[in-house]
Amino acid sequence: MIRALLLFLALASPAAAQVAPPPPAAPPTLAPPSLAAQLSVSTIEVTTAFTGGEILVFGATERLIGAQGDEVVVLATGPTTSIVVRQKVEMLGAWINGPSARFNRVPTYWALASTSPVATLLDGVERQDLRLGLDLMPLVQLGARGPQFRAALASLKQDAGLWVDQVKPVEVSGGRLFHARLPLPATVATGAYQIQVMLVREGRVVARQELRMDVVRSGTAAWIADVARGQPVLYGLACILLAAFAGWIGSVLFRRG
Amino acid sequence: MQVYLPIAEMSVDALLLLGIGFGVGWLSGLFGVGGGFLLTPILILIGIPAPVAVGSGANQTLGASVSGLMAQWRRGNVDVRMGTVLLVGGFAGSVLGVQLFAWLRRAGQVDLAVAIFYVVVLGTVGGLMVRESLTAILRRRRARPRRLHEHFWMHGLPLKMRFRKSRLYISVIPPLLIGFAIGLLSAVMGVGGGFMLVPAMIYLLGMPTAVVIGTSLFQVVFVTANVTFLQAIQVGSVDIVLTLLLLAGGVVGAQIGAAMGTKLRGEETRALLGALVLSVALALLWDLLRVPEQLFVIGPAP
Repeated sequence: MIRALLLFLALASPAAAQVAPPPPAAPPTLAPPSLAAQLSVSTIEVTTAFTGGEILVFGATERLIGAQGDEVVVLATGPTTSIVVRQKVEMLGAWINGPSARFNRVPTYWALASTSPVATLLDGVERQDLRLGLDLMPLVQLGARGPQFRAALASLKQDAGLWVDQVKPVEVSGGRLFHARLPLPATVATGAYQIQVMLVREGRVVARQELRMDVVRSGTAAWIADVARGQPVLYGLACILLAAFAGWIGSVLFRRG
Repeated sequence: MQVYLPIAEMSVDALLLLGIGFGVGWLSGLFGVGGGFLLTPILILIGIPAPVAVGSGANQTLGASVSGLMAQWRRGNVDVRMGTVLLVGGFAGSVLGVQLFAWLRRAGQVDLAVAIFYVVVLGTVGGLMVRESLTAILRRRRARPRRLHEHFWMHGLPLKMRFRKSRLYISVIPPLLIGFAIGLLSAVMGVGGGFMLVPAMIYLLGMPTAVVIGTSLFQVVFVTANVTFLQAIQVGSVDIVLTLLLLAGGVVGAQIGAAMGTKLRGEETRALLGALVLSVALALLWDLLRVPEQLFVIGPAP
């Protein structure tokens, strides 16, 4: 009986020691896909000195990143808003705002980056499901019809730096460490930002991690905007008094002689 | 040095704003007008959204006019009675103007309306000023005496009132209407309206030049205060950071401009101011007529 127990322990202990690292003998296709990603900061503060910033996503994959191995795709989306796109038309010689189309739930910020161009990593159906592409964004157009409004929205947003479509790739160092820098212009909207980090292997997304970042107004800028929105009467009166006082004090200070 | 404007929600070079404030302040000191008619188009030009440019422009004009009003008041150059009559019309006009502005914003035609208002008003005023001052300069050469002021048919309308400081006994209807029109334009264009009010007081009401500047400043200060207040409440587009930066440059420029302005003669000053007003109008007209670089614009949905 005791011999049997000892034999069992002798057999079991090497197996127990192998629990922590994944079993090396297991076939590669059954290995758990692994991805770990993190943001450099969880909050970006918009102060009166804010001139823009960036979302820095970094992380590591279990396997080597490269043409034959894993690939990383990062998609960041900001809070949504409603936007009106107006087409300028010529009327009596002058250019005026003509037909307009309204888009609801438009992301104020959208950025995509990956280790290789997304189109080469995933097929059309997969990209469509994950909305990995400016042209795949689900936008409902109200008002004027025509594809030119959506195209104009995308091009103006890209010009403003608010929609970033694979401008810079996700960079890889040491084979398994990656980082992506997504630029945030100064005009970025405040609110909650979602950052999805996806691990692509053999044309399929095998792991996904969602990160959250907040862009908040802080300091004097936040305070002014809050007062202006929350107490417009008080704010209006304060603007009158401050401007009058500034004009008066300025003329006293800089009066000649 | 970049600074973030909390209401415009964008960051702009603070030195650029100080410079614009200084330049506009210098010109306004030189010509004795608030300078809002220059400021608002320049702000729109550097990318400030039109509603914020209009709201903050009115607020800046208020600050820029306060010290001028105080100086004129001390010299007794303010006709309070005339100013009050103008103001009654001005308040009514600015209330209506802010409603009109809010409506235009919903219709998506703020930029067009602001541009058209500027082209028509500045073009007319500038043209008239240039013509009148050139005639005056020519007349001075010929040294012909001029009457104190001319009476129009409208001065004889009912509700006559005596304005002692202005040495006038005229109907209150013309000043009320003028005040109303200036208040309306002030709300839509973000200007104090001094550049329109001064010629209107001289040519339409026949007020003596000595009290014109002081009385127009009186009207401008209170109407811009009203516009600031209404824009802050109804449109939410007054950016105090923008206003204060512009004012900081403006008060310095205004002192230098005012010192130089004393060396200019009345007619030449008016001719130069008229040419300046006219050129702003032409620049904005060109902007309206040329093929735009972007055939589409995006904006927040109302």
